[in-house]
Amino acid sequence: MIEPETRMNAPNPITSIAVTLLLALCSYRLYVVLKRRPCLYLEGSSPPTRSLAVFLGSGGHTSEALHLLSSLDFTRYTPRRYIVSEGDHLSAQKAIALEQAKYSSHESPKSGHEYIIITIPRARRVHQSLFSTPLSTLWSLLACIYYLTIEPAFSLRTQTKMLTDVLILNGPGTCTTLCIAVIFNRFLGLPSPRVIYVESFARVHSLSASGRLLRPLVDRFIVQWPQLLQYGKRGDYVGWLI
Amino acid sequence: MRALATVGTTKFDTLITEVLSPRTLNALKARGYTTLSVQCGNSDFIYAPSVAKGETATLILEGVSVELWKFKSSLYEEYDKAELIISHAGAGTIIEILRLPKPLIVVPNPTLLHNHQQELAQALEAQGYLKSSTIEDLARSIQQFTTDTVVPFPAFDGSKFKQLLDEEMGFI
Repeated sequence: MIEPETRMNAPNPITSIAVTLLLALCSYRLYVVLKRRPCLYLEGSSPPTRSLAVFLGSGGHTSEALHLLSSLDFTRYTPRRYIVSEGDHLSAQKAIALEQAKYSSHESPKSGHEYIIITIPRARRVHQSLFSTPLSTLWSLLACIYYLTIEPAFSLRTQTKMLTDVLILNGPGTCTTLCIAVIFNRFLGLPSPRVIYVESFARVHSLSASGRLLRPLVDRFIVQWPQLLQYGKRGDYVGWLI
Repeated sequence: MRALATVGTTKFDTLITEVLSPRTLNALKARGYTTLSVQCGNSDFIYAPSVAKGETATLILEGVSVELWKFKSSLYEEYDKAELIISHAGAGTIIEILRLPKPLIVVPNPTLLHNHQQELAQALEAQGYLKSSTIEDLARSIQQFTTDTVVPFPAFDGSKFKQLLDEEMGFI
């Protein structure tokens, strides 16, 4: 083992080599986890259910996300986790309304009626000063890592111990911290959900900020206007989804 | 005939002011609209104080009877009564109205960041689903808008996302 030498003023050559090696290893690891795009852990026999998590980003984001979910077979995608930002009671209410509508529509028998609502701190509030944004983003990231990494790894809560199989994101800002937490899991070699980003129907010629940021990082990047895929840019278009 | 103008819960002072201007009201009257309902949201305009506490104000302007209010939890009843809807260009509102279906003129809010509302409005206009207008052009758009060229907006089709996710997650 090489101990980093901190008492010396000039950097010790061994320390430099160790740091360089560590950085190189981290970069390689990051390269490997970000490159891993084809369905890997989905190979083999298909289990009867998949657990799903979706971020409800308030307002139009929530309504589009719930539209996407409304068409799914809830007996396949169970349990479901609705992740909402702190203070966004309206999104939580809309998620509950969707669950109740599905439950009463015979489509989803009792076995598929399992869901929870998780609250995470906002990465950036509307009109928040740029100065305090890094702090609140870090706080939000820590909460995401808690839910996606620490809790599943240590089975802290029995009803949420199973890690989610798929994570659906459609913006805005706070959803990027969820994606970064997923990459953190992959970096450590822990199981991680597949991440699907769906750009808003409102985005015709230009991506949203979270879309631009997440396009190279997610497993599937879905747009609703073909113009966004011009010049061979990454993503899929299968028509309007809402 | 009745027309409805709405800005949802947003603040869009210039659209509400334009909707209540003589030229717009006269354009509506010329097309046979005798009643105009307005949901003004958080907009600031001359009659805003008379609806600030949630009441509905009724007045006659340019011979058109106008009903004004700030916000209703559901607009479906109002959409249903109207033969023409003038709206801000929020994506959710647009889809809601086009699926009713009702003839729609949208006015993107030019003060919004990056103005992607305008992108959406123009893309949907190019496909014939609605008329996209501006504050300046609203009266002219009302005069020229004919509903017989409007293309029916497709219904919600959840099967595409369902298939995409089912494939991705190994169900298919």
